[in-house]
Amino acid sequence: MTDDRLPLTVLGGWLGAGKTTWLRHQLRTGPKAHVLVNEAAGVAVDDALLQAAAGVAVLAGGCVCCEGQGGLVAALRHIVDRRSAGEPIPPLILETSGLADPAAILLLLDGDPILSRHIRLTEVVVLVDALNGAADLTTDALAVRQIRAASRLILTKTDAAPPLATARLVATLLALNPAAQVEAAVAGLAVPLPDLKADPLPLGTGLRPVTAVTLPLPPGVDWAVLSLWLSALIHVHGDRLIRIKGVIRTPAGRLLLQTVRQQVQPPEILPEGLGRDDHLAVIGEAPDVAALTASLARFLG
Amino acid sequence: MCSACGYPSRPGHWTEAGLDTAHDRLRARFMRAEVLARVLRHYGLTAHDDGVGEGFTLSTLTGASVIVTDPAQLWPTVERLAGRPYDPLL
Repeated sequence: MTDDRLPLTVLGGWLGAGKTTWLRHQLRTGPKAHVLVNEAAGVAVDDALLQAAAGVAVLAGGCVCCEGQGGLVAALRHIVDRRSAGEPIPPLILETSGLADPAAILLLLDGDPILSRHIRLTEVVVLVDALNGAADLTTDALAVRQIRAASRLILTKTDAAPPLATARLVATLLALNPAAQVEAAVAGLAVPLPDLKADPLPLGTGLRPVTAVTLPLPPGVDWAVLSLWLSALIHVHGDRLIRIKGVIRTPAGRLLLQTVRQQVQPPEILPEGLGRDDHLAVIGEAPDVAALTASLARFLG
Repeated sequence: MCSACGYPSRPGHWTEAGLDTAHDRLRARFMRAEVLARVLRHYGLTAHDDGVGEGFTLSTLTGASVIVTDPAQLWPTVERLAGRPYDPLL
């Protein structure tokens, strides 16, 4: 069955990271999009800058990941109602406030009985200010949560930052979220990242670095049991095991499985030969391969 | 899409992916009930799937039982019945 749900991109990033500037450029040069802008403050200004969008809705007076959740759900339900009535609606982009945790928005969408049937999250893009991002990251836990929730990280203002500082920031971002794709853009235009090697910045207290490990799967592992085990694992440890990725052999073919915390993206069937199907990549705060292997073995019996 | 009300169906739970035939689905149900019965024994719970109807039964040794139909509710239900958190790594 084809997935005809309305695609949604969540655009996040710290206050002043350049979200609106980047979005403005994408709207002028890229495909049409319907934009929702969330401002934590009571007065909206960003919508005035986004005239190129096919439609703009402003959600002011509260961040949509917490006290403004009702406003976001109402706005999205209104959009899907119009689409169900036959109105063509281009893909959605939600520009979050600088204080939003994108992961909370994903949980909100997934938990809503109407929105989960009508909206499909395609990407979480998080912008990082190359000038100030490093300071935010080493001091603010929310800035780190934004980085960890991203599937694509875009450094902004790299033209004004020293290349070595940018390289250190890239290394820090990859230490926090090794699964993300990292790019750079100046005023919305993609630019290359500096080709320099650098060490990540020391992280603030209480922040644990994220490491990636490979969990070998026994040959011919049973998908019915493996999926049961994974559902238990992410229910209990999803906050710590941020991402689990792998190709798994099932009766219907080879499935690409990807989790983000407690969320699991709808698995896709992959053609034969694409990707190895004998291991899972587990990315999180110090995943223990021996404990994971022993736990899976208990389930497999 | 529901043929009666036209309401699009909720995308299935991810654990249901990869099981396209009735045979594969039934086999997975029995397999999961068997594994659950084994790993939950230490929590004083048992699991049984008769292969008929929706969901399977989780029961405590004292006779309380719940029919679990939504895979997303499985582990929260286990913890509620067991009266303590479940940890697959322990």
